Amino acid sequence: MNWRRLMAVTAKETGEIIRDPITIGVSVLLPLVMLFLFGYAISLDVENVALGVLDQDKSPASRALTDSFVQSGYFSLIRDFETVEEVEASLQRGKVKLVLVIPSRFHTALMRNESPAVQVLVDGTYSATALVAANYAQAIVASFRQPARPSAVQLEARVWYNAPMRSINFVVPGLYAVILMAFPPLLTALALVREKENGSIQQIFASPLTSSEYIVGKLIPYGLIAFAQMIMVISIGFFWFQVPFQGNLGFLLATAFIFVFCTVGIGLLVSTITRSQLTAMLLALIITLMPSFLFSGFLFPIFTMPYVLQLYTRIFPARYFVELSRGIVLKGGGLEELWLNVALLLLYTIAVFWLAAWRFRKKVA
Amino acid sequence: MAGSTDRAAVIMLMASFESNSWMIEAQGIGRRFGLQKALTDINLQIAEGEIFGLLGPDGAGKTTLMQILAAILDPSEGACSVLGFDTVKQTASITSRIGYMSQGFTLYDRLTVDENLVFSAKVRGIEGSVYQQRRQRLLAMAGLTQFSGRRAGNLSGGMRKKLSLCTNLIHEPPLLLLDELSLGVDPVSRRELWQMLREFRESGTTIVVTTPYMDEADYCDRLALLDHGQILALDSPDAMRRRGEGSVFELETSRAEEVLKVLADRPELGGVQWLGNVLHILLRPAATLPTDVLQTLQNLGDLHPASASLEDVFVQMTAPETAVPIPTFVPSSPTPGRAPALDVVRLKGVTCRFGDFTAVDNVMLTVPAGEVFGFLGPNGAGKTTLIRAMCALLKPASGEIQVAGVDVVKEPMRLRSRIGYMSQRFSLYTELTVAENLSFFAGVYGIDGSPRVEAIAWASDVIGLGGMEDRQVQEISGALRQRLALACSVLHKPAVLFLDEPTSGVDPVSRQRFWQLIQSLASTGMAVFVTTHYLEEATYCHRLGLMYEGRLIAVGSIPDLRSTLSMEESASMEDIFMAYIEREKESEEVTEAIR
Repeated sequence: MNWRRLMAVTAKETGEIIRDPITIGVSVLLPLVMLFLFGYAISLDVENVALGVLDQDKSPASRALTDSFVQSGYFSLIRDFETVEEVEASLQRGKVKLVLVIPSRFHTALMRNESPAVQVLVDGTYSATALVAANYAQAIVASFRQPARPSAVQLEARVWYNAPMRSINFVVPGLYAVILMAFPPLLTALALVREKENGSIQQIFASPLTSSEYIVGKLIPYGLIAFAQMIMVISIGFFWFQVPFQGNLGFLLATAFIFVFCTVGIGLLVSTITRSQLTAMLLALIITLMPSFLFSGFLFPIFTMPYVLQLYTRIFPARYFVELSRGIVLKGGGLEELWLNVALLLLYTIAVFWLAAWRFRKKVA
Repeated sequence: MAGSTDRAAVIMLMASFESNSWMIEAQGIGRRFGLQKALTDINLQIAEGEIFGLLGPDGAGKTTLMQILAAILDPSEGACSVLGFDTVKQTASITSRIGYMSQGFTLYDRLTVDENLVFSAKVRGIEGSVYQQRRQRLLAMAGLTQFSGRRAGNLSGGMRKKLSLCTNLIHEPPLLLLDELSLGVDPVSRRELWQMLREFRESGTTIVVTTPYMDEADYCDRLALLDHGQILALDSPDAMRRRGEGSVFELETSRAEEVLKVLADRPELGGVQWLGNVLHILLRPAATLPTDVLQTLQNLGDLHPASASLEDVFVQMTAPETAVPIPTFVPSSPTPGRAPALDVVRLKGVTCRFGDFTAVDNVMLTVPAGEVFGFLGPNGAGKTTLIRAMCALLKPASGEIQVAGVDVVKEPMRLRSRIGYMSQRFSLYTELTVAENLSFFAGVYGIDGSPRVEAIAWASDVIGLGGMEDRQVQEISGALRQRLALACSVLHKPAVLFLDEPTSGVDPVSRQRFWQLIQSLASTGMAVFVTTHYLEEATYCHRLGLMYEGRLIAVGSIPDLRSTLSMEESASMEDIFMAYIEREKESEEVTEAIR
């Protein structure tokens, strides 16, 4: 590899990038847009669930139970029902998501130290939040008891690693992986295919440049851009979204460095099998952005997937980095706990480059 | 050019003494892409210091051959050595030495002239004072010194080509491969490019160049005529033309109908064309017309032998075995004595702008019915813009346009049914059959029921599409597609027909056939506007408009254009164009001086 020739390629590519507003926009603005959009929009937290109450008892105890729902902060009382028909109609229209039905004689039963049953009707169309809301309701009802009757065993649950259970703490470190998976491969693939499309790659072929000089020289600026993106989103995650940082920053940056190379390498691989910028873009999106949303554990936990799909998720490197990023940021994990993911990511990156180098030949066909 | 031919002969003689001195030696090269054969059995030997031309229509295999010579494409068969290295096994030795300019504009548009040059130099290890010296010399040669800080994307087509050439000359390669050197370049820049090439040849550089322009061939020492992936002939330009000697006649006549009757179905004919009012008759190789036919023709008009052009030779060599179609119509030229034809197109002070850029500048023109009018000019001269304004596809910044009695600017919708338009890319539906395409376009023009059946029958008869109604468009050849596109645009019998670069990418034989169609449509009273950058095609038009930098710098028939500047009879279309550009530049300078 001739260093001067390589640097000539890097200098040329940098010059082109600096003068291309689209590349700069895609590399700076889009990650920001995505980070803020998802940081704010994706919330798995259950708050202010629309609550309806059918109080058939109308007693001090039934009012107290209703109050304890409202005061929990998870529910807001939308309306009081008089009849069962009203309840059904309201749930149907989606006006309320959860209905508390307190039977008559609730108060009397409590006074007699009996355990009266109350009913909770949940709109299960969006099952994830429905489940959480139902659990909350159950917890509230369970804790609603006369002080005179302490239960024998008490459960005291403690949440570790994300104590306030803010979903943002969970989403943002996942976004680090998704954003890096979305843009650097796209930029890299487009930059290479653009030269194929307008024919300037033929000039490169018919020059003393070797494949590796050309590829490495061309990837350096995009690798740097990707790494700068990484630092940008991590800082915003920490300073703006106030995601607590438990682990070692150096370790995170080191793994990010490998991941960045992996993503740029995927862009390179895409460029070796496509001829037009349009197909390159589509292919890049299909093999990077989509799976990194669906199969990386970013939003949908992998352990709940069928076994075959769990194996499938291993094809996409975002999965390894999502685990690394969350492991380091939230759990404060180090190499000791996370070595397997680091090793797999490293292997993956090497494989991608090996494949790309094998595909990239200095021939037009 | 005679001198260069001798020179080439000497070079070849010298070369034959030492068998290893060929710069390029190709033995039985073939290349397939899938099932398609792009090249078959190419044998070539090119000597040091030669300028070698690969001539042929688009799709003939020129680019494929150039890529094989540049060692960036491996042949499927045969072997090729360049500079003594094998193109497959010793790729790097070749690519690090040669200069190769691929088709199109392959600079980095966002980089400046200097940055492009620096990149090309550094990649080849040219730095320091050597670089500075060569940079100065090359930029001065190309006339780019004052533009060195400008981005390549903002240069004109000619300047970009010259810069491309500079980036490939910075390492002073012994061999220069230039694919489609002059595509999209104005005549002035084209001459400058060739000037640069000749200077480098003086210092021993071997140059291989491809071109679809027959008129460029004279710059070469030797030529290979390429068609359908095969070399038809390999010779010097003069020797090539001698092959057609005695086969070309021209007939000036006022009794055209009778002449056409005499010529109909003669098996000796290789191609017959109207050039204005002159009938250009080309015979098949080694064929002669029977004396009685010659006698009859002489009685009907002024018959005289003419010199064969390279295109004649090409057509002669590629003419189909079956009888060639000859014109069945009489050209519609507005000859004196005929009733003055109605003006169907009137342009007054038409100006079109894109932002600050004036694409069409104050154009004034009237064209009568039945005329074939050609807009000639390099890419970017404003031809397509002007045609689009005339078709109401874009609104002029100022000026009046009247087409077929319609004020185009005020009533664009009324215009649509009176004009036909065929764009550079034939807008056909390739998944549909020929008949389905015709039927669809008839529907577009609102032709329904039995008129539709009649219109389709008429068009396919005139254009000659019979027997292929059920073929899918993607299966038929480029030449047929072109004719189908033409049929689709005349179904509604428009008063004015616009054809934007209709003949690019079509071989000469099909091109001649296409021009016959255009002329026959014109003979029915249709005014036809054609844009082209093949200067040779000018001869098929009644009148020409020369466009340069947005202005219509001259209008007239070829003889008119010649006599206005009192040029000789032998002046080629390129000479004429150049002379008018010179005149335009001078008048500009005069206006500047007055100011």
